[in-house]
Amino acid sequence: MIQGTLDLLILKTISIEPKHGWAIAKRIEQVSEEALQITQGALYPALHRLEQQGWITAEWRETDTGREAKFYRLTKAGAKQLKQELAQWERLSNAIGLVIRAV
Amino acid sequence: MVRMWARSLFRRGRVEEELARELRFHLEQEAAEARARGVPEKEAASEARRRLGGVTQIQEECRDMRKAKPIEEFEQDTRYAARVLAKSPGFTLTMLLTLALSIGAVSAIVSVVEGVLLRPLPYREPGRLVRIFTSNRAWPKFPINPNDFRDFRARLRCFESMAAYTRNDVPLAGSGETVRLSGFAVTGGFFHVLGLKPAIGREFDQNDEMPAKGNIAIVSDRMWRSRLGGRRDAIGRKIVLNAVPYEVVGVMPRGVEHPGNMYHAVAYGETVDVWTPFTNYGDPKFRGAHYLDGIARLKPGVTVAQAEGEMNAGMRQLAREHQGSEDGWNVIVNPLGQEIVGRSERLVLVLLGAAGLVLLLGCVNSANLLLARATARHREMALRTAMGAGRRRLIQQVLTESVLLAMGGAAMGAVLAFAGVKILLKLLPADFPRSGDIHLDAPVFAFTLLLALASGIVFGLAPALLGTKAELNLSLHEGGRSSTSSRRTLRLRNGLVMSEVALACVLLIGTALMLSSFVHLLRSDPGFRPERVVTASISLPHLNYKDTKAVSVFYRQVLAQISSTPGVEAVGVGSDLPWTGWDENNGGFFIKGEAPPPRQDFHARYHVATPGYFRALGIPIVRGRAFDAGDEPGAPGVLIINEAMARYWKHGDALGGKVSFEDNPKTGKDWLTVIGIAKDTKDTPQNAGAEPAFWWAVDQEPWPMAADASIAIRSEEDANRVADRLRAVARELDPTLAVAEVRTMEAIADGSYATPRFALALVGAFALLALTLAAIGTYGVIAYSVNQRIPEFGVRMALGAGPRDVLRDVMANGFKLGAAGTFAGVLLGVGFARFLGNLLYGVKAADPMVIAASCAIAMATASLASYVPALRATRVDPMRALRAE
Repeated sequence: MIQGTLDLLILKTISIEPKHGWAIAKRIEQVSEEALQITQGALYPALHRLEQQGWITAEWRETDTGREAKFYRLTKAGAKQLKQELAQWERLSNAIGLVIRAV
Repeated sequence: MVRMWARSLFRRGRVEEELARELRFHLEQEAAEARARGVPEKEAASEARRRLGGVTQIQEECRDMRKAKPIEEFEQDTRYAARVLAKSPGFTLTMLLTLALSIGAVSAIVSVVEGVLLRPLPYREPGRLVRIFTSNRAWPKFPINPNDFRDFRARLRCFESMAAYTRNDVPLAGSGETVRLSGFAVTGGFFHVLGLKPAIGREFDQNDEMPAKGNIAIVSDRMWRSRLGGRRDAIGRKIVLNAVPYEVVGVMPRGVEHPGNMYHAVAYGETVDVWTPFTNYGDPKFRGAHYLDGIARLKPGVTVAQAEGEMNAGMRQLAREHQGSEDGWNVIVNPLGQEIVGRSERLVLVLLGAAGLVLLLGCVNSANLLLARATARHREMALRTAMGAGRRRLIQQVLTESVLLAMGGAAMGAVLAFAGVKILLKLLPADFPRSGDIHLDAPVFAFTLLLALASGIVFGLAPALLGTKAELNLSLHEGGRSSTSSRRTLRLRNGLVMSEVALACVLLIGTALMLSSFVHLLRSDPGFRPERVVTASISLPHLNYKDTKAVSVFYRQVLAQISSTPGVEAVGVGSDLPWTGWDENNGGFFIKGEAPPPRQDFHARYHVATPGYFRALGIPIVRGRAFDAGDEPGAPGVLIINEAMARYWKHGDALGGKVSFEDNPKTGKDWLTVIGIAKDTKDTPQNAGAEPAFWWAVDQEPWPMAADASIAIRSEEDANRVADRLRAVARELDPTLAVAEVRTMEAIADGSYATPRFALALVGAFALLALTLAAIGTYGVIAYSVNQRIPEFGVRMALGAGPRDVLRDVMANGFKLGAAGTFAGVLLGVGFARFLGNLLYGVKAADPMVIAASCAIAMATASLASYVPALRATRVDPMRALRAE
């Protein structure tokens, strides 16, 4: 996976609604139709880093099944960051697309 | 952010626990999902674990993500460093001792610098206080005349206030034995100038300077507590000074320090017990007597130079008004601080310099030791680099070690400094200014800590940078034995050792010079024989001993009784004892047939003495005779002069010469005859030469000077018994007089050597410390290079080289380092010697013998330090050395 994309994927995934770690991993696998097999182990350090940077925040809540889990939610700064990263991603993929088609 | 940091730092346990819970939840969810897919119960859990990855590793990575990392790393580094240091106790102990000694030495000296030079004087805005002196072509520094002072005070513009004072010790009678109080007669507003206020009562004003005002006194806190019971109603009480009742009008608080005086100087500090108003202005036309010490407070913004200019203009004005009695006199205005500590400033700075050199040496030595260790740890570093440690992290680790050592050294150093200051205060000469202000306190401690940190980083940096240089392959392949980096390290270490030897050499030269001048001092003839002489001061109340006759009658009785005591060889009374202060006059006398030296007046220290004085003190009468019983009031006037004064006679013989103190000597009775020439005694042993001096016979003294005098008794008996006998005799003759300051002449002489001895002892101790450190450094480097060259020695010995060749080779190496260091040390040392300046006596700064001796010691130390490793090199077993290669 390209460096930095994991952050983008996490931010995007929880931008819709707060999720716990396992759900984030599942969601990414699911939406990408299993094309993006993220290393589950890499998810947690990334979450801690994002939390440390103040882009996401976490709280312990009950899940639908009544279990206690740590839910991550986007902060205001996180939403801004997501917007920036998305724009940058668009630019990058467009550029790559142009190069590929031109050849 | 800060909150998060704080959370991850202080509530780490909670964070870790949450992470564990979070991962557990993840594993359970994953397993549940697997089971839902139909994976058997047993495999589901392990599949979940496999998909998640290593839990410990995740936890570690999460920890890394949290920014409290630096602090955690610091903790980790510290723990690691402590473990590593504990593993090599020899190294650690050497390092700690090196640092503790050097940091301790510097801290102790810094507390002296702080107390003596930096701390403000204990007066209000002391920066504006100045001392006022006069000077003329013969006298660079002289006291002021009372009437001149009064005129100055009346006309001052640059000054806020001005006062004058003169020593006025008085016997205090009362319950028990009469004691002699250290006192000063001061003009009105003396304490106001200093910015001090009485604790109770009032201070003197200018009205109190009228003689008719009655006798009043201000007493010190100590006197108030010990003699007046510390009661607030002490004001108005009467105390008997000089056999006259004085009314106490004020009590000064604790901490009133004497600002210093010129003649018969009283030590600085809380040394004065009673102040009385100065009333002795006399005839305003008579302005020849200069004996007041002047002190003044400058107006804000006025410079010392401006004030001096105004004072000199005033002096010229006075000279016009009084028909030239002030002709040729100038005024000197000096900052009070400079007056008090100026004399000791050089000594303190020299000590600071010496301690600084020791600290520098300590740092160099530490760097050297650390470097040696860094080389030995090359493999460890290479291994850790290979395992993925970054260079920054390794440097951080190594620096942590040296800072830890420095802090440990600082802690031990602080203890040493604490003890050192205690010892310093014991060694300090009694008359050292502001010694009461010297103690180790918080700022000095803070300085020590800062010093330790800075030195930790400085001496740790080079080894850290060199030791962590990633030459991975080389180090792992060659075991760090003969790579270029270790050669570079060796070069650096050679440089360090040379600078250590150089620094030690500087201190050696300083010590040798001071030792040599001290020996000079002890060997120089004092001009008297201090052995077996007991002295004491005697004050006769002026009321009961108004004239010369009364005084001389009293002394005749005392001397007769003392000299009849068994064991007493000689006894005499004089206005002064050698090396305890003096008074002088300038002009005021004529020599028949002689003119003063060009652009000068005759001047001399003046004293009075009884016949036995010279024999009791062992001052030889070189020519002529001492006084005898025949030199009575009615008899022809006689004078004894010293050799320095005899040099005033250019045309005739000084012995038999005539001296007059009359303004217009006419008759033969106006002239005194020089009947004896006494051997010279200098003011203090350090002075270059003796000043001219003369003695009147007690029975012929022009005013009752001997009312405050000293008695000297040369006796076979024990000093205490002699003193007891003196007290008994004095009490029997007159219970109102005080016998004080009982000291042996040897103690007085010893006190006069205290300052040079103190300086010598300290600089010597620093030099010894420096030499030890340099020896450790040299030993370390040579031992290291021997280790490096073991294979080479093996080959050479296999090829037929004898142990002698190897020994010579290694020792030559040490000798070369020592020689280079010594050479640099001599160059620096000559500079240091110049800096010693007036601390040297009778020896030149670039004394070749001193330099040669210092060089020899430095070289011998370096050679000796390389002898032990050299010896080890000769014991190399060729076979084993070659096999190891």
